[in-house]
Amino acid sequence: MITDIFTLTFVQYAFLAGTVTAVLTGLLGPMVVSSRQSVASDMFAHIALAGVGMAAVFGFLPLVGAFAVLIFGAVLLWWVVVREKYATDALSMVFLSGGLAIALAFIHTARNQAVSFDTYLFGSILTVTSTELKMMILLAIGVITTLAVFWYPMLSVVQSPPYRVPYSSKPQLMQLLFFILVALTVLVELKTIGGLLIGALLVIPVLIARNFAATFKSLTVLSVIFGIACMHIGLLVAWFVDIPPSSVIILVLIIALAVSNFVKRVFPNIR
Amino acid sequence: MKHDKPVIKVDNLRKVYGNRVVLDDVSFSIPAGHVVGIIGPNGSGKTTLANILLGFDTDFHGTVRVDESLRIAYIPQFAETDKYSLPLSVYEFIRSTANKFYGLRNDASIDTVVQTLAHVGINEQKLHQDIYSLSGGERQRVAIARALLNDPNIMVLDEPLASVDYASRQDLYRLLHHLNRTHGITLVLISHDMDSVLSISDSVLYLYNGAVREYRPSDFASEVRTPTCFKIVCRL
Repeated sequence: MITDIFTLTFVQYAFLAGTVTAVLTGLLGPMVVSSRQSVASDMFAHIALAGVGMAAVFGFLPLVGAFAVLIFGAVLLWWVVVREKYATDALSMVFLSGGLAIALAFIHTARNQAVSFDTYLFGSILTVTSTELKMMILLAIGVITTLAVFWYPMLSVVQSPPYRVPYSSKPQLMQLLFFILVALTVLVELKTIGGLLIGALLVIPVLIARNFAATFKSLTVLSVIFGIACMHIGLLVAWFVDIPPSSVIILVLIIALAVSNFVKRVFPNIR
Repeated sequence: MKHDKPVIKVDNLRKVYGNRVVLDDVSFSIPAGHVVGIIGPNGSGKTTLANILLGFDTDFHGTVRVDESLRIAYIPQFAETDKYSLPLSVYEFIRSTANKFYGLRNDASIDTVVQTLAHVGINEQKLHQDIYSLSGGERQRVAIARALLNDPNIMVLDEPLASVDYASRQDLYRLLHHLNRTHGITLVLISHDMDSVLSISDSVLYLYNGAVREYRPSDFASEVRTPTCFKIVCRL
């Protein structure tokens, strides 16, 4: 029976972790896409890997290392972005490659340690521990609460071009908060979907939802729903076909995007 | 509601990008309650000047004095079409800045938003429509409504009529005139299209080759535009 697999603790953890991941990416994805920061999400993923490598070398928890480097990276990226000297996508590419280069150096140094980097490169949702799950849920509560409080002000800085107020740095501060929330979402995703596949989970549900949404709020709700649905379908399929879950989840998302585009073409007025 | 007290005073402003002098020894003042047009051809330094006046660019020589007690609203040029844009309703667009974080005592309620939209001539039915589905003129009105909710003393509009069709222009002129005369809002209208702002401006700052000259709109027509037209005719 298919329901039998849900009696297994690690499967329960995987579905819970997947749901938390899909909720967070569904909530923040529309803002990431709207602000044209899709590359930035991948950048955060790569510098998070540098944090994992650092943790392996200096002997602390990988997610703690990733957390420290992500917050530092978010503040640094924001500091450079608000100076408007470079285009954000070009800048993200500098951070992305730089993060990966540092990660590679640390991984090489720590090659004798017992940390599996594949876990963080491609995700390992079936090995999520109870401590990691608790950490993810706590982070998610923090991100969701912050979003609920600052929802509308945050909408103002994720438009293109972002809102600016004469003689006030409030929009810039909101942009910093946005970068930190994206960094924390990447942290949650690192173990479940993997550093190299994170961008897809932030972006694809939004592209699916865009076909059916009329407001930003409905776009966000639909992104969460599509994200959770594809995550659960992907996990179930992965169980039966013995393919890494993160790989199946992304493939399910891509198929869902193709189907949604087809549905939109057949029923253009659907909203 | 016109006063001679300047809300913005610029003295000996100089801005250089690399080897290029964009603004050279520019001085002028904008009196409270006036409608001032900042016009000039593309590349004349209008945007640079606007960025300096709004405090977005602080890397310049000279002095720019802006009364700190005033609230300045900036309405940038709206992208005419953006095929990659995600849906954003009129209400969401307005609430994104009309909230406590940006200085309102209370978040703007739906009723307040509807009233302000009605004030600028936008029907309540548009409230939950995607802002990108509106016409250029309607979008400009919504942007003005959004700025109004933060109760500004000065409104700086970048190319306010760029994506507004000819038929809607007169309505928008009337709205801007109303905001200035009835609400006493000082208006700064930046445009490369001289005709669009000349008719409603009290004075015009004409940027050309890094320098600024101030005109009354009636003088501007005879002193600046005629010789330019004449030159074009000669070249032909």
